[in-house]
Amino acid sequence: MSETPSHGPVKYIMPKWIRGPQDFVGGLAMVGIAVFALWASSDLQGMRGFSFGAGTAPRMFAYLLLGLGIAITIVGLVKHGEHITTYAWRGPLFVSLAILSFAASIRPMGLIFSAFTSFLISAMGTPETKWKQTIIVGICLTTFCSLLFPYALGLPLQMWPKFMIR
Amino acid sequence: MGEVFSNLGMGFGVVFQLVQWTPAFLGGMSIPIPVNILLCLIGALVGTLVGVLPGIGTIATVAMLLPITFGLPPVGALIMLAGIYYGAQYGGSTTSILVNIPGEAGSVVTALDGFQMAKQGRAGPALAIAAIGSFFAGCVATVLIAVLGAPLTKLALAFGPAEYFSLMVLGLIFAVVLAKGSVLKAIAMIVFGLLLSMVGSDIETGASRMAFNIPELADGLGFATLAMGLFGFAEIIRNLDAGGETDRQLVQQKVTGLMPTRKDLKDSTPAILRGTALGSILGILPGGGAVIASFAAYTMEKKLSKHPEKFGSGVIEGVAAPESANNAAAQTSFIPLLTLGIPPNAVMALMVGAMTIHGIVPGPQVMQKQPELVWGMIASMWVGNLMLLIINLPLVGIWVRLLRVPYRLMFPSIVVFCSIGIYSVNNAPTDVMLAGAFGLLGYWLIKHDFEPAPLLLGMVLGPLMEENLRRALLISRGDWTVFATRPLSAVLMAISAALLVMTILPSLRKKRDEVFVESEN
Amino acid sequence: MKLYSRMLAAGGLAAVAGLTAVPAQAQAPAYPTRSITMIVPFAAGGPTDVIARIVTAHMAQTLGQTIIIENVVGAGGTTATTRAARATNDGYTLITGHMGTHAASVPLYPKLAYHPEKDFEPVALLAGTPILILAKKDFPPKDLKEFVAYVKANADKVNAAHAGVGSVSNVSCELLNSVLGIKPVGVPFNGTGPAMNALVGGQVDYMCDQIVNAVPQVKGGTIRAYAIATPERNPSLPDVPTTKEGGLPDFQAQAWNAIFAPKGTPPEIVAKLNAAVVKALDDEGVRKRLLDLGSVIPATAERTPASLAALVKSEVAKWTAVVKPVAN
Repeated sequence: MSETPSHGPVKYIMPKWIRGPQDFVGGLAMVGIAVFALWASSDLQGMRGFSFGAGTAPRMFAYLLLGLGIAITIVGLVKHGEHITTYAWRGPLFVSLAILSFAASIRPMGLIFSAFTSFLISAMGTPETKWKQTIIVGICLTTFCSLLFPYALGLPLQMWPKFMIR
Repeated sequence: MGEVFSNLGMGFGVVFQLVQWTPAFLGGMSIPIPVNILLCLIGALVGTLVGVLPGIGTIATVAMLLPITFGLPPVGALIMLAGIYYGAQYGGSTTSILVNIPGEAGSVVTALDGFQMAKQGRAGPALAIAAIGSFFAGCVATVLIAVLGAPLTKLALAFGPAEYFSLMVLGLIFAVVLAKGSVLKAIAMIVFGLLLSMVGSDIETGASRMAFNIPELADGLGFATLAMGLFGFAEIIRNLDAGGETDRQLVQQKVTGLMPTRKDLKDSTPAILRGTALGSILGILPGGGAVIASFAAYTMEKKLSKHPEKFGSGVIEGVAAPESANNAAAQTSFIPLLTLGIPPNAVMALMVGAMTIHGIVPGPQVMQKQPELVWGMIASMWVGNLMLLIINLPLVGIWVRLLRVPYRLMFPSIVVFCSIGIYSVNNAPTDVMLAGAFGLLGYWLIKHDFEPAPLLLGMVLGPLMEENLRRALLISRGDWTVFATRPLSAVLMAISAALLVMTILPSLRKKRDEVFVESEN
Repeated sequence: MKLYSRMLAAGGLAAVAGLTAVPAQAQAPAYPTRSITMIVPFAAGGPTDVIARIVTAHMAQTLGQTIIIENVVGAGGTTATTRAARATNDGYTLITGHMGTHAASVPLYPKLAYHPEKDFEPVALLAGTPILILAKKDFPPKDLKEFVAYVKANADKVNAAHAGVGSVSNVSCELLNSVLGIKPVGVPFNGTGPAMNALVGGQVDYMCDQIVNAVPQVKGGTIRAYAIATPERNPSLPDVPTTKEGGLPDFQAQAWNAIFAPKGTPPEIVAKLNAAVVKALDDEGVRKRLLDLGSVIPATAERTPASLAALVKSEVAKWTAVVKPVAN
């Protein structure tokens, strides 16, 4: 995922001879993924007699992706295509933070805390958020979740923070 | 034939069985209660809920509810578990259509046209046709199980590793066909999906592949993790982009009609019929069959359609066909379980567990030894499908109203539901983080006009394809000709080749034209 | 008003009492005071899960607390076992391990994060599931002697299905092959279901599998059973001879299931749990359900923690001699 280009208007830094920047960058990223997969599967065994080794199929598909990536890059060079659109930062940042916060807090803090905080953090992802309303809805949603998942569906989720149980 | 009717009669007798309930507080008075009908209803309701909630999978729920069923009579327990299973197929389409999050592998294709319909304010007809198509498919498949269950079992057994591999090749070609834009990019996405599917432990040697010693990756990436990330989280992030607002306004304002129009019904009837037929056949194949069914049905509609270019922009056939196919497949996948006692997928394996705990050993003789169990279950499927139709049609109104919730409140809720859903699959926080990472990847892919659907299909079919290829070669001792010499496999390969030629030829011709036109595409 | 303040005071007192009671209870020998978590390292509905559920349901009655079954799947059960090894050793987290997680895993995974002997307190053996030698319906040999001769003569043609690297069917087949001195092609499947499907469909030649999965197919005549790898015949398949009767006495294999607690769990808790297992195994209802599965219930002498420790030791040695590590 390191291939994700930085935010901002990328189209201005692209030289003119690249006619389809969107495909060009996309193709390069595929090449990057393929090279990464080749590296990651380089320690695996290849063909053993007539039977496939663990590394045969991954390498086969990685080479295939490499070829496809190069082809897409070339298409991006020669064919007029879309420019790269700008990336927003606010949405991705806060949604990611909300997911991270949920993942980090679900085990130590339990469902109620982690659901509510991740609701609030992700709400920061848009300037449209009206806080009073969001907090009320967040409380309702957390209550709903803490009834629905453990009781209606019988999932063994821990409700409260660990330090409060023992 | 007469035997089938008498058997079905017995089955319905079991389903409508009344149990006298004599609670103490009524002072000896007893109330007759249709226990099995109630259990079927509970199963259908829980299943719908499971299907609707993103991430919460059928396997996890059935596993969680298994202990509850220990206290029930075996027939009732199985009726309820079966209800959850096919109820989830109904519910699964709901999130696909409303918020572009496929809950199950089978509803990935439904999202393609279903979500577009929702964007055009036609979520109502999309949801309704999904329910109607599923009901029709469920009815047909139930009859099929009753009439042809035993002979169809032979098909399941004739499918060896070579045939599966050929079927998977066909499945991947379906994935290319269903792509909207560049074929090259679609193939790249499939291959990327195949690569992602290889993460985890190697089936033959147990070697850890591309897992970087992360314990959560040792068994590979989960479908829910990837689907929630690439569809759910990525869609949210994209919607928060500037410009996404106008898109959302459209969804909220343009809601027209809840039920399909006469034209919608006319358009989707052949699609439902064909989807049902395809789904019924593919569902019998253990493992993988049911997943391919929805893709195959979509591809077939696109190929047969007079306006294939409209697929992906919100045509009702694109919802009707895969939804009918996946429900038909969900029903016929019971055939190997009922006739052979062999579970074709993980949910069925849990049902075998439920049976063994109840002291019923499922096997080739279960139909003779426990006829009331088998026929009761078959009859309950029809009843359950009817219940689901009755539950789902009025729900359409509620779901569509849900779309009017302002997006600033909707998206944090989806984030929370998805996170809980992914976490609940394995109780692993790492899975939630992985889904977040795939969300960013998905956002990037959308920005670069790569479609996530072929990637997900590659991910689902990848292991089946690789493993069966290796099995086939192990059994044949390295002889590649098995794929052509085994008749079933040869037929599948021939269909694949024909489909590939049909897909690539027009696009090549188009390319040649484009060289001269130099259009902006 | 007076009443109100008295109520408040009483409430406060109760709260103080509650606070002080917590550490006091932790030191008291009373066990169990809350629900116990039983980790099952395999999917719900599988043989180990079914056995664990049958026994723990009875144990819960004896102990007076609920026992929550938590199915944790992954890496041949070693993910769950690692988690159990690291759990708090207060007797509230237990694991139902089996032949794979607590014996064959040692040679199979050189980088295993736990050792079955060093990181666990053995509690009690639950049940054994005999292994059968099975083959497709039209496999030429008629009995075990012919089977041995046939596979030896056709060692470069036959193939053996198994349910994935490290599975019971995989390691027990390795044992069979080493006893026979052959190296057939192993065809891996994802679990017993698909492997059995391939055997019934005649796609593969033979397989070793647990009796639970095989009984209905053998009785239905869709596959053939040559022998059972236990000292005695099994009541659920009385016509199938033992390997000893059939002339292959060296092939003895049972997929045993047993309860383990994390290392350092107090001996009095282990003893209490062991007593609960023993009581469950003497219960008629539990026995009947286990026997219906084709399981072998351990005799009284085999139910002690010490005998389980000895079993684990001998099994680790046995599988280390046969099983090769996974490629890594």
